[in-house]
This record gives sequence, structure tokens and C-alpha cells, in this order.
Amino acid sequence: MKTFKKYWAIFQITLINSLAYPGEIIGRSLLIVPFMWIFYQLWNVTFRASGTEVINGMTLHSTMWYLMMAETIELSRPALARTISDNVKDGSIAYLLNKPYSFLLYQFSNSMGETLFRALMNAIFGGMVVWWLAGPPPAPLGWLFAFVALLGAWILNFCITCLIGLSAFLVEDVAPFLWIYQKFIFILGGFLIPLDFYPAWLQAIAKALPFAAMIYGPSRLLVSPTMELLATVLLMQFTWIAVLGLTLVVAYRRGVAYLAVNGG
Amino acid sequence: MKELRFLLAVWKANLQSVMEYRVSFLFQVIGMMLNDFIYFAIWIIFFARFDEVRGWGIADMYITYGVLASAFGLVALLFGNAFMLSDIINQGRLDYYLSLPRPVLLHTVSSRMISSGMGDFSYGFLSYALSGQFSWDGLLRFVLATLLAATIFAAFLILVQSLAFWMGVISNLSNLAVNAIITFGIYPTTLFDNYAKLILFTLIPAAFVGAIPAEFIRAFTWQTLAELLLGAAAFLSIAVAVFRLGLKRYESGSAIQVEV
Repeated sequence: MKTFKKYWAIFQITLINSLAYPGEIIGRSLLIVPFMWIFYQLWNVTFRASGTEVINGMTLHSTMWYLMMAETIELSRPALARTISDNVKDGSIAYLLNKPYSFLLYQFSNSMGETLFRALMNAIFGGMVVWWLAGPPPAPLGWLFAFVALLGAWILNFCITCLIGLSAFLVEDVAPFLWIYQKFIFILGGFLIPLDFYPAWLQAIAKALPFAAMIYGPSRLLVSPTMELLATVLLMQFTWIAVLGLTLVVAYRRGVAYLAVNGG
Repeated sequence: MKELRFLLAVWKANLQSVMEYRVSFLFQVIGMMLNDFIYFAIWIIFFARFDEVRGWGIADMYITYGVLASAFGLVALLFGNAFMLSDIINQGRLDYYLSLPRPVLLHTVSSRMISSGMGDFSYGFLSYALSGQFSWDGLLRFVLATLLAATIFAAFLILVQSLAFWMGVISNLSNLAVNAIITFGIYPTTLFDNYAKLILFTLIPAAFVGAIPAEFIRAFTWQTLAELLLGAAAFLSIAVAVFRLGLKRYESGSAIQVEV
């Protein structure tokens, strides 16, 4: 319980810090507005050209709310990999390692504190635009299921970005890994196009990977909140969190063993 | 001519600087090309499912994406500081450039080479080659269109980042503007109504870095060439004028700095 309190305090401090600059967060969250607007233009034309109101189980309304949730998840991700990579490269990781807390849990609490308010602001701005363009939001059950899946999505993102950040122990620049991770989220996560519109073989591959559990899962649950889908998404999330979490712990221990910090 | 020689010398020094870490340079170039390809795969998936969007098909997207990537890459390579101009202004780092007998804006923006720009620049040509509409005269048009689109893109960056002279820290605004021009640049203009098109030709000149250059590459017309030339001349003139106007408000940080 005492251990939990420690990380809860770190989470609270970061959250309060982020609330100290609401203008900064609001300004950053405005990015979702042009994105949602352009998505509406694209999908509105596409649905009209198709001459049907439902494509692969998705309407224009559900597609837009799906994309709003996908954008919210993606745009709320903190720059954790860069922070860790900078800590490793400039040696400041030494100041974090000798403190009475787990480095990984500290980073997790910290990143969650950064994510929460940012996600809320993105959802508010994105939701307002989509409500205006495509119609009212989905039922409350959808929001509840999406939020449950969102927690798993954030943990998964933490595991992957932390692994990328820790790769600075081995390579000089982690930026290319970040670009490629982001693009996997774009394609295999269903960030720009819902996975339902993909060919069946690609859907099967994408849905088996962690990226879909991070983006497609919570976004689809928002517009189609069924118990069956919730169970599938949570199962995928648990499986990938176990695999990636274990990999992260091993990578961290090996990385720290290699660490050499000069000077002070 | 004198300025061109100066620019070539700066670019040569920048290249030598980034090539100091060759593995990192190659890693960034290959990483960015891979990144561009994966991003474009979204459109391959989209057009495999929906044949065309108001007359735009996958071949058009290859060209639009190609010219946008090459133009973006060219600016990152040759004028990398255009992406960071507002930080340079806010941190008082213009002092260094003001104290030297060279054009301040040109010297500032050309003093950084972003290695990953080479990946974008090269990928653009690859994208054009894969479009299925490759021809040798088309390649010449691609090069010309890339140069003009890069001029407009650089001018837009300078214009937005120069607002820091009046508004101070504008990282959110500049981030929003850069993301908007890149995002809107990839999309076909046929998607948008007339009001939106007006924005894409003026406030966020995305049409000048994506759709119009792509149209020019597909088939030469004097009209599209004139549009690009006029757009480049107009945006560059406005950007330089705004920077010069803002420079009068610049306050030195009086900090001792070393520009590397």
C-alpha cells in the first residue's frame, strides 16, 4: 500500500504540473480540430461515392466517432521514448536510478499524469467537432467500455515507448524507431482507416498485433459496445502487456548492467 | 552570386558535420524512407477498397505524396533551421547571425541540416517512379515542382515562425501550422468545398505543396506553372518582409552562445 502511495503521489504531481499550464495543453489539443475536419471531408465523399450508408458495418457517424477516439489516443501519447533516450544519453538516468523507487514504475506514473488531462482535452475538442459535423456522440456504455480499454492501451503504449527509449543503450538515435512505431500504429492500429475497411487477410494480421489493441480496440468499443468485443480486446491487451512487460523488465535490467556514467 | 557561393559553403560545412556520424546519418535516411513508405501504405489500402475519390486514384496519390515528401526533405536538408526559427528568436540566438556580415535570414535558416530530410527527399523520387506515370520530361517537371513547392514550404515556415517576434513562444501554433500544411497537402483538393480551397491556397498553402505541383507533374500547362511561380514569389516576398519587420522588434538575450 505504501509503495502504491509513492507512485500515486508521482502521478498526482505530474498531473498537477500539467494543469499548471492549461493554455499549453489546450493549444496542443487544437491539433485534433483540423484532423477531424479533414477526415470528415474524406469519409463524407467516400460514403457518398459508395452510394451506401453502411460500409463493412460502419456508418459515416460511427466512422467519425471511431476516428475521434483513435486521434485522442494517438495525440495524447507523451514523448516518453525521447525523455528516456535523453536520460540515457546525457547520463541523467543516474539521478533517477539512485532514488528509492523503481525507474520503470516512476516513468509509468509520470507518463500517466501527462496523458490524462491531455486525453481529456483532445476528446473534448475532437468530440465537439465530430458532434457538429457528424451528429451526437455514441451511447454512454460505449464511453465506459472505451475507457476500460483505454487503460490497457496506455499500458501497452508505455511498454513499447519505454523499450524504444531504452534502446538508446544500444543505438545513438532512437528517432527512426519512433517514426516506424508511429506508422505501425497508423496502419496496423487502424488509426487513419478503421480496420473493418481492410482486406480480410490484413485485418486478421492487424488484429493479432498490439497496435490494434491500442487504437482499434478502444475506438471500436466506443461505437459498438458489445461484451464480446470487450472480452476480445481485453484478452489481446492482457496477452500483449504480459509479453511486452516481461521484455521491458529484461531489457531494462540488461541495459542498466551496461550503463557507464562518467563525471557528475 | 556572392550569396549563392556563401550558401554552398554553408551547405558543404553542414554536410561535413552530419557525415561525421555516418552510421547515424544512414540510419536516419533509411529509417525515414521506411517511415514514408509505411505511411503511404495507408493510401494503398484505401484505394484498394475505394477505387477513387472524386477523380483521384492511387497514381495521383503517389505523385502528390512524392512531391510533398521531396519538397519537405529539401527544406529539412538545406534550410533545417526554418523549423526552429521561433526558438532561435525567443532564445536570443539571432545575436550570432546579426553580428556577421551575411544576410541574417538566409544565414540563420541554412545553418542546420536535418539528416532525415535526405530520406524524405529520396523517397519522393521513388514515389514518383512507382506512380506508373513516369517519363523523362515528367521527371524534369518533378524536379522543378519540388523546387517551387520547397520554396513555398520554406516561406510558410519562415512566415509562421517569424510570428514569434510579436507573440513570443509559439511552439503550439507552429506545430499546428506545420502539421496542417503536411496533412492537407497529401489530400486531393477535390475533397474540399470552395471555402476550404480558399484556405488551402492562402492561409495554409497546402495546395501549393501537394495538389498543384502534382497536377503540373502529370501534364505541363502554363497555368499551373504560373500558379506555382506566382505562389512561390508571393509567399517568399511576404515571409522575408514579415521577418524583416519582426527583426526590428528583436531584443538581444545578451547571452554568450556558441552556434554549432
